[in-house]
Amino acid sequence: MKASIVWSSPEPEKTIAIAMRRCYSTKPIEEIQSELDQKGSEYWKHLIGLALRDKSLDVVEHFCLEVLIEGLPENEAGRLAMYFPFMRFLKISQDVWLVSINARTLIEAYHTPEGKGVMSEIMAAMKKSDVGSDFLQVAFGEVAN
Amino acid sequence: MKVNLLWYTDPSIIKRALERFKMEFPTEKLKEHITYMFEIEEISRVTTHQLIRHRLASYDQESQRFSAASRESFVLPPSIQSKSEALKIYEDALKLTSESFERMVALGVPKEDARYVMPHAIKTKLVMTLSAYSLQHISELRTAPQAQWEIRELVTLMRDAARKATPSIWV
Repeated sequence: MKASIVWSSPEPEKTIAIAMRRCYSTKPIEEIQSELDQKGSEYWKHLIGLALRDKSLDVVEHFCLEVLIEGLPENEAGRLAMYFPFMRFLKISQDVWLVSINARTLIEAYHTPEGKGVMSEIMAAMKKSDVGSDFLQVAFGEVAN
Repeated sequence: MKVNLLWYTDPSIIKRALERFKMEFPTEKLKEHITYMFEIEEISRVTTHQLIRHRLASYDQESQRFSAASRESFVLPPSIQSKSEALKIYEDALKLTSESFERMVALGVPKEDARYVMPHAIKTKLVMTLSAYSLQHISELRTAPQAQWEIRELVTLMRDAARKATPSIWV
């Protein structure tokens, strides 16, 4: 099985930070974005760490990915679609799929026997494409290395 | 009411990635793979209650446990605005709830409990991420004449922003 990243939310860590600040701030979005830009990526990582610590996984749902997965049998894709309704599958050929997934599903599916294999491939593809590296580090620690 | 489209999937990126498979994919099938993230401001909690019934989307909304400024700001339905007597009743009710909130907080009631008195008219802000497929479904339901005016306005703005950003998906 091989996964490759087709598209990702731009600046995924900042996207998650925006979602988190939206919950706790009364400021307009322009001010939230400006503050997050000033504080930089270490602060975004800090916020992601707080969200994961509190199991507030709703904020990481805004980090979305489109992934091409080759070598994924149809029965396995079907099982994932059944267990994880936020994953969406477009069949391209016998065992090739365009998969839409968000970071919450990535975390939750990784911790299940059904999802761990595919999620590990997606994480490897993210690392290879340098997509969401800080997120992977905070969410998965050494597993992501 | 403000709708900001923060980012979206460029359909041409998806189409380029699929080119090597030499297959034509109908736009309908690609809609699940085009995603939009919106930031929405100055809508009432009446409308967000309706919005979050659409489950195939991700939401994060301004918390009333922590925010203070929004308590001063309410949506005014046109049907109330157009009747001076109704407007007076509405404004009196909002004033009473706001004052009740502040008085309870002053007595040491936590904000998270004092907010129980606040009305649905209070303005709120949220971020929302969803696929084109999901937005189309919401749009069909919520821009229909029988939908309420506020969510109809909101979803129309969202759909128009999505259509402008990704016209090939909204043919």
